[in-house]
Amino acid sequence: MGSSISYAAAPPPPPPPANLSQHPVGLGVLLPSKTEEKIEKKVDWRNLPCPLPFEEIQREALMSLKPELFEGLRFDFTKGLNQKFSLSHSVFMGSMEVPSQSSDTIKVPTSHYEFGANFLDPKLMLVGRVLTDGRLNARVKCDLTDNLTLKVNAQLTNEPHFSQGMFNFDYKGSDFRTQFQIGNNAFYGANYIQSVAPNLSLGSEVFWLGHQRKSGIGFAARYNTEKMVATGQVASTGVVALSYVQKVSEKVSLASDFMYNQTTRDVTASFGYDYILRQCRLRGKIDSNGVVSSFLEERLNMGVNFILSAEVDHRKKDYKFGFGMTVGE
Amino acid sequence: MAPKIGKGKGKTGKGSKGADESSIARYVKVWSTWTMKRAKVVAHYGFIPLIILIGMNSDPKPHFSQLLSPV
Repeated sequence: MGSSISYAAAPPPPPPPANLSQHPVGLGVLLPSKTEEKIEKKVDWRNLPCPLPFEEIQREALMSLKPELFEGLRFDFTKGLNQKFSLSHSVFMGSMEVPSQSSDTIKVPTSHYEFGANFLDPKLMLVGRVLTDGRLNARVKCDLTDNLTLKVNAQLTNEPHFSQGMFNFDYKGSDFRTQFQIGNNAFYGANYIQSVAPNLSLGSEVFWLGHQRKSGIGFAARYNTEKMVATGQVASTGVVALSYVQKVSEKVSLASDFMYNQTTRDVTASFGYDYILRQCRLRGKIDSNGVVSSFLEERLNMGVNFILSAEVDHRKKDYKFGFGMTVGE
Repeated sequence: MAPKIGKGKGKTGKGSKGADESSIARYVKVWSTWTMKRAKVVAHYGFIPLIILIGMNSDPKPHFSQLLSPV
């Protein structure tokens, strides 16, 4: 008591460390602890969180609104040999849509068997899938240092001039990310995204296509709180994309999406829901093009999932139903 | 006379250097295309065996029979 009163009588400009420990004790006696909760958390502008990568800015909306719809039978079997290494066998029998000039949809019955191998390490990820017709899908992700990552994405075919590949170099800073891309057909791209507030991040990208001498620039913004995510993207190619996802509860999310393409005068809006329940995940969506779709993944047992997919296009009179099973993690 | 000869020599010197530079650029382009074609074939045939090789040598080492059996 005596020591604290004498200290308060003569406040020293830089308090010596020995006396500093007495301050919180004295204040703790004077102030009630409840006011600490009322004091707002001050924004630390020097320690903003690292933003999501530029290509994942619409991640929540894409996960809820764009499941992998298919038509036909699908069977996937994943066998783990190791914590890090696994093989996968996948069979598909059904119709695949072939893009056509007219408004009619052309469906080609196809079937294929796909063999895949995955190696997942914290520092190195290798995923390869090869189909019966010789096509190879390869993905490599390698952490060269703590902040620099190399990603390679390639689709190689037996036909000449149809293969595609893309190299990405990602650098992650404390509150920004930047990426440089090199692709085949002389494609060069770069993007940069920065956290400007605890909830807001802004980014931009530029790209250049060598063979067609086309270049473009785009801007993106993402605002997210714990309950909602809103994103917007504008590009010089004439595309505007907006999305909004609201997390209504732990199990339910609602999402909406708007896309406007100025060159083709295409406008699409869609609304969807995403229920993540204990035994199943159900995603449904309705579109402004008159497309209603739904995707159900039901967990029958440990490691066994049953999948149902449905897409009904009222305008084009195209009805797609698919079923399948996934065994393994 | 002497300056004219010098000029002539200079011109031919520049011309031959230009031809060298364009041929070097052509040589680099042809060589890089050849490398990319060979690299594409190597990646196409060797990527999945490479993953299997790395996976079979990681800890804990899986047995070879586990590769083929469905269990």
